[in-house]
Amino acid sequence: MKRLIDWADHRTGFRGIMHEALFERIPGGARWRYVWGSTLVFTFVLQMMTGVFLWMAYSPSTRTAWESVYYIQNEMQYGNVVRGIHHYAAQAMIVLMAFHLMQVVIDGAYKAPREINFWIGLILMQIILGLSLTGYLLPWDQKGYYATQVATKIVGVFPLIGPQLQTLIQGGTEYGHHTLTRFFAMHAGVLPGTLILFLVLHIAAFRKHGITTPDPNRGPESKFWPDQILKDAVVCLAVLAVVMTLAIWVGAELNAPADPAEPFFSARPEWYFLFLFRFLKFHAVEQFGLAFGAIYVPGILMLILFLMPLIARIKGGHFFNLGFLSVVMAGAGALTVIAMVEDKNDPDFTHHLVMAERDAHRVQVLASGPTKIPIEGAVSLLRNDPLTQGPRTFSKACASCHRYNEHNGLGFPVMDFQDEKLFPAVETAADLGTFGSREWMIAVLTDYQNHFAPLKNLKNENGEPVGERFLNGDMASFSSDNREALLAPENKGSLAALVEFVVAQSGREFTPPIDADLVKAGRAIFETGTLKEGVIADCKSCHSLHARGEETALSEDGYGPNLTGYASAEWLKSFISNPGAEEHYGDNNLMPAYAEKLTEKELDLLVRWMVGDYYRSEEAHAAEAVKE
Amino acid sequence: MSHTIDSLPETKTDETPMNETPMHETHSSAAETRRDFTTQLLAGLLGALVMFIPLVTGILFLLDPLTRKRKGATDDGFLKVTTLDALPADGTPVRMQVIKDLTDAWNFFPRQPVGGVYLRKIGDQVLAFNQTCPHLGCAIDYHQAMQAFYCPCHASKFSLDGEKQNVVPPRDLDSLVAEVRNENEVWIRFQNFRGGCPEKVVL
Repeated sequence: MKRLIDWADHRTGFRGIMHEALFERIPGGARWRYVWGSTLVFTFVLQMMTGVFLWMAYSPSTRTAWESVYYIQNEMQYGNVVRGIHHYAAQAMIVLMAFHLMQVVIDGAYKAPREINFWIGLILMQIILGLSLTGYLLPWDQKGYYATQVATKIVGVFPLIGPQLQTLIQGGTEYGHHTLTRFFAMHAGVLPGTLILFLVLHIAAFRKHGITTPDPNRGPESKFWPDQILKDAVVCLAVLAVVMTLAIWVGAELNAPADPAEPFFSARPEWYFLFLFRFLKFHAVEQFGLAFGAIYVPGILMLILFLMPLIARIKGGHFFNLGFLSVVMAGAGALTVIAMVEDKNDPDFTHHLVMAERDAHRVQVLASGPTKIPIEGAVSLLRNDPLTQGPRTFSKACASCHRYNEHNGLGFPVMDFQDEKLFPAVETAADLGTFGSREWMIAVLTDYQNHFAPLKNLKNENGEPVGERFLNGDMASFSSDNREALLAPENKGSLAALVEFVVAQSGREFTPPIDADLVKAGRAIFETGTLKEGVIADCKSCHSLHARGEETALSEDGYGPNLTGYASAEWLKSFISNPGAEEHYGDNNLMPAYAEKLTEKELDLLVRWMVGDYYRSEEAHAAEAVKE
Repeated sequence: MSHTIDSLPETKTDETPMNETPMHETHSSAAETRRDFTTQLLAGLLGALVMFIPLVTGILFLLDPLTRKRKGATDDGFLKVTTLDALPADGTPVRMQVIKDLTDAWNFFPRQPVGGVYLRKIGDQVLAFNQTCPHLGCAIDYHQAMQAFYCPCHASKFSLDGEKQNVVPPRDLDSLVAEVRNENEVWIRFQNFRGGCPEKVVL
């Protein structure tokens, strides 16, 4: 064995290299404050390792990037852990880099003869920031997409060559496949390669001058191996523990797939760039133009940082440097806190965050469904999903009059703006949250005036109330006249039967499912008005109806709304397109026709959402059944 | 840095003295050696641990394909590929594409060509062979002049009944179960098999 090692050493000289690497002397003994450089090397190795593993599953294109990251995160074993480590170790690196820089400045390790090494360190810092920035885009989710847009736009305001530089970085004037291929090549090839090169120089130059000891007589001298390595390893283990904990218990975020047509109002850069983001929002900064705040100011701060070793030659220079670094760090910290507190207290931002989380969750439910992801990419899953698009259309087109369970469809209150103030808007039409359900039908039959009460607020151009035609109409009279009979305890079954018959016309799926016997009993009541106890006005005299599944029409020529297919997707489409049609409200109608106002697709997704025709995971199905 | 390297871990001399630290003499006592050994052991163990944990996680991640049953091109379902009428009556092989829904990692592709088969009509029966050569996975060709299946990559040769005719392929052509349904429809059970081995192992 010894002969083999001797032979290998003779041919390669590896003992010398090992000796050089391990037995660096540390005057004054190993100390905890020297660990930061080693932890940075460790996290970089961690990133190289997890990065290569992720590389083996990542696919950089606008239709596969999000999809492959989704697959890594949710389908591949330990994928969430590997991606989580990569995600959080990147952030740990930023924190450790700040510690390393502060320790170097405080201990004066940047001064002569170590100026060049300090500069190499600052170059490494730029490379690491570049890695963070390029990596943020790669999942191609809404957050990364919109945050990176800001960064590339900043490049675009660079003096002289800005627009050309931006086009080169993006691989085109707009984001596309080549933005990802370029960012990925930078992130996994160019930047790590350059980083390794400068890291070798950094460590070589560091070894040349040795460690800077603030207190060389503190204790007996020790060596890098094993004394300092032990301390380094302990801290590396702590870093790894924090990173793994975050990776496993919090997990790396994956927002909805990037969609240039779908705004992402909660776009923020990663937390360590928040200070710059907030800085750019100051009016005092904004008025000098984007280039001032985004390029010149950070450029000048970086320049001072670069000049530190030279400043230190002047008397009192070291204290200036210490002060400068403290002020920059404190300022960045304060701006970060301000940005976070402002966002937290901003109701709009909170709303947008809720929306973003909803979309992110929804697209993953769809992607994990039996139809998986189509070739058009996961972005089409959300674009074609009634549960995602329906509420958006509702909030845009319907919520000015209607509500959906008292909100705008998306879960937020409807507001009006008058006299420079926001206040809750007045609803002027029925709340459609329960439309077409048994509950809805019971309310229409027995509590019409209350159910449609918001119509009281509806006025025509002259300010005259117009809802009376419904609130004092025939259906309202039916409801108040027969309310007592329908709600009598002995007629409980009769009411349930009539309701069952009418809601069954929609052909929707109900929980609990439609009871065929009840439907049959209800049909008779619809026709004759004969309840278990007593007789009420029948329905067929006013309402035409061709009952679902029957050969011939049950009633024709009714002057009221035609109830054929009532509350089904087809009925809703027809109604929303033209509510004033003969078979709907006719001349009584107060609602605008939407045939020209909505695209066919918007209408289709809106009604499919309203009738509950969208994909639910099996767990969601089970949960709904339990709730009912 | 130009040092004359020797193999002893002694204090090296640096050409630029970085400070005026007096060199501490190393006192070698039994206690110190023991302490030094403990430190070395601990440092080695912890150092290995911090590298080992992420490496093993990554390797487990990499082994993911071993844990999933492929549900792509092959399963047990029969697929309709053509009709009896479309096959020549004299038993000449015809190559047909196999079309079916394909699941590939995160994607779902409806009705994709996933492979090819050679079909021969013999009376009212159909012989079906997977077009993939059992040798190393090239696609075999129907060679009219030889009246044989022939692989242009490595010269595997099979009779029209699928029997291997030289030493190149490890086994006969992979025959597939074929059925005639509704008098005219040709259905096959499309499967792919592992290449390069004498046994016919379904993938």
